[in-house]
Amino acid sequence: MTGARPTPGEPRDPEADALTALDRGDREAALTLLMDAYGTAIYRFCRRMVTDEELAEEAHQMTFVQAFEALETFSRRSSLRTWLFSIARHRCLDALKIARRRRRRFEPMAEAPETPDPAAAAEDHLADRDRTRALRRCLERLPPQVRTAVLLRFQQELTYPEIAAICRQRAATLQARVARSLPTLRRCLESLGQAA
Amino acid sequence: MTAPTDRPCDRFEREGLLQLERGEALDPHFDTCPACRQARADYQRLVRETAALDAELEPTPGWQARVWQEVERRQEGRPRGGSRLLWWVPALVAAGIVAAVALRLGPLAPPAGLRVEVEPGPGVRRGAEAQPGDRLLLEARSVGAAQAELRVYRDDHELVLRCSTQPPCRRRGDSLRATLTLPAVGTYQPLLLLSDQPLPAPTAGGLDADAGAALEAGARVELGEAVRVR
Repeated sequence: MTGARPTPGEPRDPEADALTALDRGDREAALTLLMDAYGTAIYRFCRRMVTDEELAEEAHQMTFVQAFEALETFSRRSSLRTWLFSIARHRCLDALKIARRRRRRFEPMAEAPETPDPAAAAEDHLADRDRTRALRRCLERLPPQVRTAVLLRFQQELTYPEIAAICRQRAATLQARVARSLPTLRRCLESLGQAA
Repeated sequence: MTAPTDRPCDRFEREGLLQLERGEALDPHFDTCPACRQARADYQRLVRETAALDAELEPTPGWQARVWQEVERRQEGRPRGGSRLLWWVPALVAAGIVAAVALRLGPLAPPAGLRVEVEPGPGVRRGAEAQPGDRLLLEARSVGAAQAELRVYRDDHELVLRCSTQPPCRRRGDSLRATLTLPAVGTYQPLLLLSDQPLPAPTAGGLDADAGAALEAGARVELGEAVRVR
């Protein structure tokens, strides 16, 4: 436990501050610190994990609601950041299940026309030429477990031991998964007209 | 998606990428083979792009208040379990409820005391939505309060207008008006604060924190309809 107060100008350590708040039983202060420190990072993770913006926002907010409820029993075996991403991962996977159920229920009613619309196809093609959009699309096409590992590794820059703790899988498995995903992304980008 | 690649350095894809992810030293071949060096540079670019993909994304305004609101709702739904939250958060939760309603359902729930209109600026219209250069017209009634203040927050955090009796506010009787030329894209949230006591100054915490502080200080807080500028 680092109870030292930072000198003026020294960046604060939200982990240490949140743990200090928990030590004095102040869950509200701890959650506020965590929301300030990690709210944006977890939002970005959720938005890329879950294509549906509304579901992603819900997953993001429910991460912190659930964190508040579980803070008292936080075991301190990992960092709070890792712990939060672990909750976020579960909430995002739940959101993906909801999205799948919605699609199954509503897609038959909103089926695409049998004859492809050439204008729409051309627009799609133009859109795909935008590399950022193409990369987003390619990430969406990765299976959720692979997408999780890729985002935690490259978007959040977590270490493999941290990702292993979040995903409850061996680091070696995740390393292989991420390494294999890169050629998949490369080929997907090429299929959308984006040279590596 | 698993078809064999026709790239000249698929050995880098099969072995080099895994070596990098494992943090191992790269096979010397990958430094001497020009195709492998190119492949490595391509993947480094892909990783950089993935890392930078959503750097501009921010949670929607008022999200922390919505988290507290949900926490509170769930606590109330439980049998009595020692909710220490109740003694200090009501102001924030109340602000959250008002903010959530105003920000998410703004057009459905117009506030009674703060009227918001957008007057088109001189620029060429791109559509029905407000755009930079348009003017935001605010009109409120102080309904007998000694202190009345208008504020506008951009994207929940940036205070772009704050006035009471001085320009850009114009006060006549209990009528308070202000005009703001919308400077940039974003979501603009007008706020009216009324109190008989001095109002708390804005903080770096943005809309949620300021509305919570004002409520805690006994002020009446009204949120106008949010205006999205594209």
